[in-house]
Amino acid sequence: MALLQTENLSYIYGEGTPFCVTALDKVNIEIEKGEIVAVIGHTGSGKSTLMQLLNGLLKSTAGRVLIDGEDIRSSKAKTLETRFRVGLCFQYPEYQLFENTVYEDIAFGPKNMGLSEEEVDKRVRVAAKYVGIPEYAFKTHPFDLSGGEKRRVAIAGVISMEPEILILDEPTSGLDPRGREQILELIKNYRDRTQKSVVVVSHSMNDVAKIASRVIVMYDSKVLMTGSVQEIFDQSEKLSEIGLSVPQITEVFAKLHAKGLPVSEKIYTTEQAFLEIKRVLKGGGVNA
Amino acid sequence: MLKDITIGQYFPLNSVIHRLDPRVKLLYTFVFIIMIVVANNFVSMLFCVICALSVTLISKIPVKTVVKGLKPILFIIIITSLLQIIYVKTGVPLVSFWKIKITSGGLLEALFMTMRITFLIVMSTMLTYTTSPTSMTNGLDRTFAPLSRLGIDFNIITMIMTIALRFIPTLIDEVDKIISAQKSRGANFESGSIFKRAKMLIPLFVPLLFNATRRAYELAYAMTCRCYNGGKGKTTMNALKFRAGDWTASFLTVAFVAGVIFLNINFGEYNAQFTFNTAV
Repeated sequence: MALLQTENLSYIYGEGTPFCVTALDKVNIEIEKGEIVAVIGHTGSGKSTLMQLLNGLLKSTAGRVLIDGEDIRSSKAKTLETRFRVGLCFQYPEYQLFENTVYEDIAFGPKNMGLSEEEVDKRVRVAAKYVGIPEYAFKTHPFDLSGGEKRRVAIAGVISMEPEILILDEPTSGLDPRGREQILELIKNYRDRTQKSVVVVSHSMNDVAKIASRVIVMYDSKVLMTGSVQEIFDQSEKLSEIGLSVPQITEVFAKLHAKGLPVSEKIYTTEQAFLEIKRVLKGGGVNA
Repeated sequence: MLKDITIGQYFPLNSVIHRLDPRVKLLYTFVFIIMIVVANNFVSMLFCVICALSVTLISKIPVKTVVKGLKPILFIIIITSLLQIIYVKTGVPLVSFWKIKITSGGLLEALFMTMRITFLIVMSTMLTYTTSPTSMTNGLDRTFAPLSRLGIDFNIITMIMTIALRFIPTLIDEVDKIISAQKSRGANFESGSIFKRAKMLIPLFVPLLFNATRRAYELAYAMTCRCYNGGKGKTTMNALKFRAGDWTASFLTVAFVAGVIFLNINFGEYNAQFTFNTAV
């Protein structure tokens, strides 16, 4: 049984009015313990709606969300419990900071969970470590930080609740390359150390290729396909049909391959590219 | 919940009312508001109501939408009516219990006030429903243009008003987003003592104010970059012109004013006793 799973989940905005829009249509997904799932799809494909349904913020029009096989809507207490077990970090989370100090802001979630003071303190320190916020910055006003730092404080605010599933909605959007790198690094790091699940919504295929263990492609309110990074990016034509692409490096290698160079087409990250070029320079052929 | 706010909303349709000059609409809405306050008996009030309903029908705005727009003032109507019922002691006593005596006069007075407030709001929302923010500003700008001779730059005031209206939906979206985000961190906005709930407003308002200020700065820079300098001597692409429809509206408004005054004089100041007796 999957840790978190949806059953024919549907959501309609403004049901019963002339302006109603179907945001999700009978979606079935599963999230296992310890995986990093990337959700990709065009703007308006229902990704963000799905994320808000997963932690019980929105109430589905039809279908259910199950955590450990139990409906998250079965009782009010269950819904609240789900909020803590499934931590959702919205897009541009830095705009939701409000406390006077970085420490207080990270502690907001754990405090709402009703944890003891020592436990809250411990969690804040652990979370800050994951996102690379040094302890001397704890007393800083969050508004005095840079954009990337604010983003990391906001993510720490969710990590500090120690959710079993961490959901991040476009965590790298609007950041410079270094900020992106840091966020991706911390996501990987978090998963590796805690063995908890992470769900990342992303527009950047480069990011997806770098961190995901599984990819879910959404299109027109439905799940179009799911599979490993390789399985998904092998279908570059299908992806471009729905307005998505493959990672830039994959495109480069596809073109090199088409020109007759003995390189593999199945290259998704720069690390793989580096190894592949090294292999080819040493005098190997295609072994894809 | 927040999405229900319809104040200042524009309902794009193509009706005679929509096409009227915004100055005409502004001025005549104001005239209507004065007249509905001046109306002093049920006959002239009924006349006002019929006129307001006709405008609503001509504007093609769905009645359902108009009724929905009245929701926020329901509370005011109920309170006013209750006060009238309790404090007005004229007319025939109907029911009395404890210290409260309900009389026919009180009931009629409550009905009268309800009509007045309801249709005052209906007509004002008609103005915003049928006038796009741009043409509204344009209209305000033109109407108050003479004030510039007194040294008041009305261009700036109308610009401020347009921006305020423009940002209402944006801020509502933002509030929704912040509430969701804080809920995800276990914030509970719905239950708990009043003190606890008041405290929960901090995680909502601090980010909201911060973001609003940030947005204001960004907008100011963007406007400066496009050479905004207060709009003095600004010309408009769609210059306002008085058309046939505007003349008709003017004529009808004059007729309306005359009608209300005539009915006011003819039927005299409304008297609960009298009205009740004739009604029975």
